[in-house]
Amino acid sequence: MIRETEGYVMQLQNFSVNDGDGVRTTVFLAGCPLDCIWCCNPEQKTCFDAAHKMTLAQVEERIAGYALFFRRCGGGVTFSGGEATAQQGFLRAMTERFYDKGYDLTLETCGFFEFDQVRDILEKMNRIFIDVKQMDAGLHEIFTGVGNARILDNLTRMQEELSVPIVVRIPLIVGVNAEAEHIETLCRFLSQNAPRAALEFLPYHRFGEDKYRELGMETPDARYRTALEEIRRQGLCVPGKGVCAAGAEELSSEANMEIPDDAVLENCRRIAADHGILVVSYR
Amino acid sequence: MVTERIERIRQNYVNSKPRISTERAKLWTDSYRRTEGKSACIRSAQAFYDCCAGIGVHIFEGELIVGAIGEFRKCGILTPEFSWKWVEKEMDTFSDRAQDPYIMTKDQCEFVRKEIFPYWKGKSLEEAFLARLPEETAKIGVDTGILDNDSKWRQAVGEITPDYQDVLFPKGFGGIIKEAKEKKAALSMADAEGQKKAEFYDSVILTSKGIILYARRYSEEALRLAEEETDSVRRRELLKIADICSRIPENPPETFYEAMQFLWFTQIGGILSENPLSLNPGRFDQYMNPFYEKDIVAGALTPDFAQELVDALWLKYSEWVWTISANTADYFAGYNQFQNLTVGGKRRDGSDGTNAVTFMALKATKEVKTHQPGLSVRIHQDCPEECMEAVTDLVSTGCGFPAIHNDSVGYQMLLNAGYEPDDARDWNNCGCVVPHYRKTGEWTAAVNMNFGSAVEYALNEGKSLMNGALMGLPEKPAKEFSCYEEVEEAFFRQFRNLCYHSVVLTTTAQRLHQETVPRPFLSSTMEACMENGTDLSMGGAKYNVGPVITGIGLAVAANSLAAVKKLVFDDRVCTMETLADALSADWEGYEELRARAQAAPKYGNDEAYADDIAVRIANTFYHEIHGYRDIFGKPFTTAFMGISNYIPMGRVLGATPCGRKSGEPSSEGVSPYVGSDTKTPLAAMRSAAKLNQEVHSGGTLLNLRLNQELVSTKRGRANLGALIQNFFSLGAFHVQFNTLSSKTLRQAQERPQDYRDLLVRVAGYSTQFVNLSRNLQDAIIARTEHGEF
Repeated sequence: MIRETEGYVMQLQNFSVNDGDGVRTTVFLAGCPLDCIWCCNPEQKTCFDAAHKMTLAQVEERIAGYALFFRRCGGGVTFSGGEATAQQGFLRAMTERFYDKGYDLTLETCGFFEFDQVRDILEKMNRIFIDVKQMDAGLHEIFTGVGNARILDNLTRMQEELSVPIVVRIPLIVGVNAEAEHIETLCRFLSQNAPRAALEFLPYHRFGEDKYRELGMETPDARYRTALEEIRRQGLCVPGKGVCAAGAEELSSEANMEIPDDAVLENCRRIAADHGILVVSYR
Repeated sequence: MVTERIERIRQNYVNSKPRISTERAKLWTDSYRRTEGKSACIRSAQAFYDCCAGIGVHIFEGELIVGAIGEFRKCGILTPEFSWKWVEKEMDTFSDRAQDPYIMTKDQCEFVRKEIFPYWKGKSLEEAFLARLPEETAKIGVDTGILDNDSKWRQAVGEITPDYQDVLFPKGFGGIIKEAKEKKAALSMADAEGQKKAEFYDSVILTSKGIILYARRYSEEALRLAEEETDSVRRRELLKIADICSRIPENPPETFYEAMQFLWFTQIGGILSENPLSLNPGRFDQYMNPFYEKDIVAGALTPDFAQELVDALWLKYSEWVWTISANTADYFAGYNQFQNLTVGGKRRDGSDGTNAVTFMALKATKEVKTHQPGLSVRIHQDCPEECMEAVTDLVSTGCGFPAIHNDSVGYQMLLNAGYEPDDARDWNNCGCVVPHYRKTGEWTAAVNMNFGSAVEYALNEGKSLMNGALMGLPEKPAKEFSCYEEVEEAFFRQFRNLCYHSVVLTTTAQRLHQETVPRPFLSSTMEACMENGTDLSMGGAKYNVGPVITGIGLAVAANSLAAVKKLVFDDRVCTMETLADALSADWEGYEELRARAQAAPKYGNDEAYADDIAVRIANTFYHEIHGYRDIFGKPFTTAFMGISNYIPMGRVLGATPCGRKSGEPSSEGVSPYVGSDTKTPLAAMRSAAKLNQEVHSGGTLLNLRLNQELVSTKRGRANLGALIQNFFSLGAFHVQFNTLSSKTLRQAQERPQDYRDLLVRVAGYSTQFVNLSRNLQDAIIARTEHGEF
């Protein structure tokens, strides 16, 4: 098993309260095999430098003073990203150390990893958040750069082979995955393949836009258009829009990535409830 | 891993029986023969000086830290000025007794009978105490197991923490002599006060000169041995020892090694002067770390050699034994000297005090496995994780060390006892679990009081079930109690009477100590004594804290009252008369009733029924005891300590309503009765935390047994750490764990030769399991082993 005592950390956020139970420290690890067009942490690509390099001891030191705040509220450490499993050796070293300290451990993952390589890490978690962004394999590839087969397979295996509670998270984006039909598809899959998993809807936000500007990167809006033009050009299925033949009419900008309103959220929750799926929220 | 040298010394320590040396007693007695007519403090100081000048000098094989109290490596001494009658009575069977046997030869016995004891006839503290004690107090307070303070009239007080930080290390005994001379020069000899103080300063000059002379004699011996030594490495070591002992303890230590040797010479001075229990090294890591850091930075010391010195000191602390009567040995079983050494915790300025020496101390106990020093650790809520890890790691070895204390409750206990905040924050442990401070004169284990006796007398017309004698206050027959409240009132009447006699026992002994056994050597380690020209026994310390009365059998008393309430008045399954008959019959013929009594609510399960009674008893104990004043006008203090006193105190107690049979052990500290904390350790902890522990400034003790599996992984130990912190957040002061399985302990009973170094927690301290009587071994195995948190 690979263990690395140092790695690249985008950010180490103490007093994090939305990534699991209680007061937590979230370790955002750099690097991600996905390239989501709405990514709110674009800096994950640029953090592989000396300024973001941290040793295990440094991470421990940063967390040590906060550990006493974990005790009374069931808090602990959350590994996030980027994609935490992308730095497998470092993640393993941290997981083992903090497991030994008795911390509550949570993993946030995009689900894109070699299951057998990280099984030992997953087993030490108290809870795993896994993203399912799009049930359609082709669209998934267009939105994130990779297909969803491995992700859905990993979700299924987690359910079958681990005893760790799982929360499936969907970043709810109107124009990408918030439509009733898609939520239906997702819920059907969960009922069949991950019946014990809970579901959390994470409404899309644009808080990441400033980061793009700071990093001198192209703003997300521009990229959406590019991606959608690609969709139209290839004649693929566009959520909520039916099938677009090549050369079809221009997609209106308001159909692009939109923040879901309360009605959309309510509808999604209702669909999940109809399938007997527990909807949770860590907001 | 320990060095080969340490392992050799360790093997000798675990495999050899202690022997009694008569040398000190002989020198002391001869000195007293020469000083008749002089004041008590001068006689004592002169005897100390003569002892330092005449006692044999012994540097044992491989020793790095030197200084012996007699000719044997594992050695105990006699202090006939305190008591000798019990020695005369018991010494022929010292080698054979069940608890803490010593080797004393026939020749030695004959020698002390002829040469030493006759001089002390009518002069010892013991005889004076017994002559003065009021008869009605003596009836329940002398070798009865009802009230017990024999360690305060057969032995010295001890129970003190020399001030290394502000007195010994900065001044050295040379500086103390200088100060004493200056102070004396400023006195007028025309008034009584001046005369008394001059005598005090003279006594301090004598004892200081004595310990300096003692060290010089070791310097000479080391030099002599070095000349004979053929091994060049050992030769260099001996020359180093000779060099250190030529300067220390006259001068302040300058290196880590010198400071370590200084510590041991101070300990030697304490032992030769009074054979004390609880002569505490105090906050070892706080005063040693500056030396350590300085030497490491200067390249004058390696961490490995520093560790070897710590290991060597641990063995020195363990090789001398406290010579005590069979009765006292029942209460303080396991050759225990109660030299409490405290590490960790906050500094005077409130910052965390964990340092490199903290970890060296924990490591030494883990690796050398000595029963001394009594290693205590202070844990505050922001204790560094690596410190907690080292603590729980040591717990997981099963040795029962360290005693784990709540930093903030210790602070609160001292504030309640009248300390200034900065001093209170600087507390160390004394003996087993007493929060203490180095500038203090206090009797921290003044009397053990048997709570079970109050139950017995309340339900048996004031009489003992064991012998039928009227030991308590007369009481009406049990059958005439018409409601539970009446029973509780009767209990508290008897209880208050026991408190009263405990105070009588203590103040009688306190007065006698002032008259007959002053403490010049130990007084010289206290700046206020030096400032005021007043001996410790006269109240010379900066803080004089009221004597501690220790309650034994809180759980037995609470469970018994709960059982009476439940069986007789709530469920009405029997009458008071039937219950009283069952107790008189030791439950014979009342097996069904006994089963019901055992099933009645028990303290330690986080249930109000019995816990509320325990809280009422503890609160009453505090208020009652705190209302009395000692000879310095200080309020008496309460404690729920352990020691092994719950065994002898159970032995004199008839059957109790909780279902306990006659003669069985009572309960210790604030721990539940053995086997009755049937829920989880969390419930036991919650029950214990209800007791307003911070008012019992003499300390509180909770003993728990955990299944070794629970702490066999790092994560398990981390959980234990969190458990301790959460317990402490409820306001509890102390907890200690035994993590050895019953199977291991039974194997040790069967094959003691294979388990000679197996340490176990008794109560407030650890000692070798094989050195405990069968009785006490069984009592430890009987404690509930918790298999899950």
